[in-house]
Amino acid sequence: MLATDVMHCRNVLHNSITAIEGNKKSAVNKARFKTVVLNILVLMVILSSFPANAAEDKFLFDTPAQRESFLTLTAELRCPMCQNQNIADSDAMIAHDMRRKVYALLKQGKTEQEIIDFMKSRYGNFVHYQPPVTAATLWLWAGPVLFIFIALLVVVRRKSVAPPEDMAAKLAKADEMLEREKE
Amino acid sequence: MKKAPLVAIPLVLFSLLVIFLFKGLFSDPRELDSQVQDKTLPAFSLPDLMQPDVTYTPDDLKGKVTILNVWGVWCVTCAVEMPYLTQLKNEQNVHIVGLYFDQDLDPDFGTKTLSRVQQEVTDMLSRYGNPYAYNIFDVYRDTSLDLGVTGAPEHFVIDAEGIIRMHHIGDINERVWNSKVGPLYKKLVAEASGNDVKERKVDVEAVMSSNINAQEGE
Repeated sequence: MLATDVMHCRNVLHNSITAIEGNKKSAVNKARFKTVVLNILVLMVILSSFPANAAEDKFLFDTPAQRESFLTLTAELRCPMCQNQNIADSDAMIAHDMRRKVYALLKQGKTEQEIIDFMKSRYGNFVHYQPPVTAATLWLWAGPVLFIFIALLVVVRRKSVAPPEDMAAKLAKADEMLEREKE
Repeated sequence: MKKAPLVAIPLVLFSLLVIFLFKGLFSDPRELDSQVQDKTLPAFSLPDLMQPDVTYTPDDLKGKVTILNVWGVWCVTCAVEMPYLTQLKNEQNVHIVGLYFDQDLDPDFGTKTLSRVQQEVTDMLSRYGNPYAYNIFDVYRDTSLDLGVTGAPEHFVIDAEGIIRMHHIGDINERVWNSKVGPLYKKLVAEASGNDVKERKVDVEAVMSSNINAQEGE
């Protein structure tokens, strides 16, 4: 696919150059100028699509499942250098190397979990975007639940407490005073 | 009065939050717990940077306390720390081994020749001083990955038994050496020489006792 792209590119480039040369000789030729512009545009589009092709062509997979695993893993693993990017996004050298390693391990037939453990044994829990439940991280899950539970308790207790009786009497008195003032 | 403890709850929660956020101000997200601390070096078999025929394995780093310095010519901080490392080598006889890896060398495409890498390294070392006993060339950067290296420079203090005792990320300057790396290095050197003496003593005792046994046998 890459080869045909290159061939096409060369043809287009050739056409553009001959068109430009033709332009020099003849007077202003609108139609030719248009084809040149068009050709250059096509060329730019093709050239801009090259990096994407190159990145995909670098890793060839045996099965679609393997490719799928590669994509999930590179999205789930975190780059230790550019800390808020996964290794699929990051352009740091370490991310390049980790992608290479993930690919190599997949080729060896390692499962996703094995690869995650491999990276964790080198870069710690930090490297995986899914934190494990430990004593320190338990609060991430327990915290919100605990908060809701306590809030519910408070609300329920508040409601069950009836206003004191003398309050009712006071209210009646206040109403009476208001009535009196109205008159 | 009865409600006092209840009123205190938000205050306590707020102060906890303040403490948490205040601590966050001074925490360094780059400081990761190293996974290789107190472990032996991962297995490797890598060539010498200058003499590719020579191959090193973790065993070559045993028997002497070593600072393994991960570096490359493309790394600016490495150039900054190099004169100080050279000074350490010359004045305190610190054993520093380089783990060299190249950034531009894409293992899949191979854009650089070995001789060019060697030339760049020679140029840099002649300019800033050469602190290294020798340089191990991590061609595919696999060993760096096994060591949990995230960039350069990074340093591993390895004791005489080949166990990693410290993983220091960043450069070594006078402050870092005096407060962090230096004390451990000196302690390990003292330990290593102490062990040597002990072993010798044990040897002498063993020899003597065997001699005694031999005499008794006679």
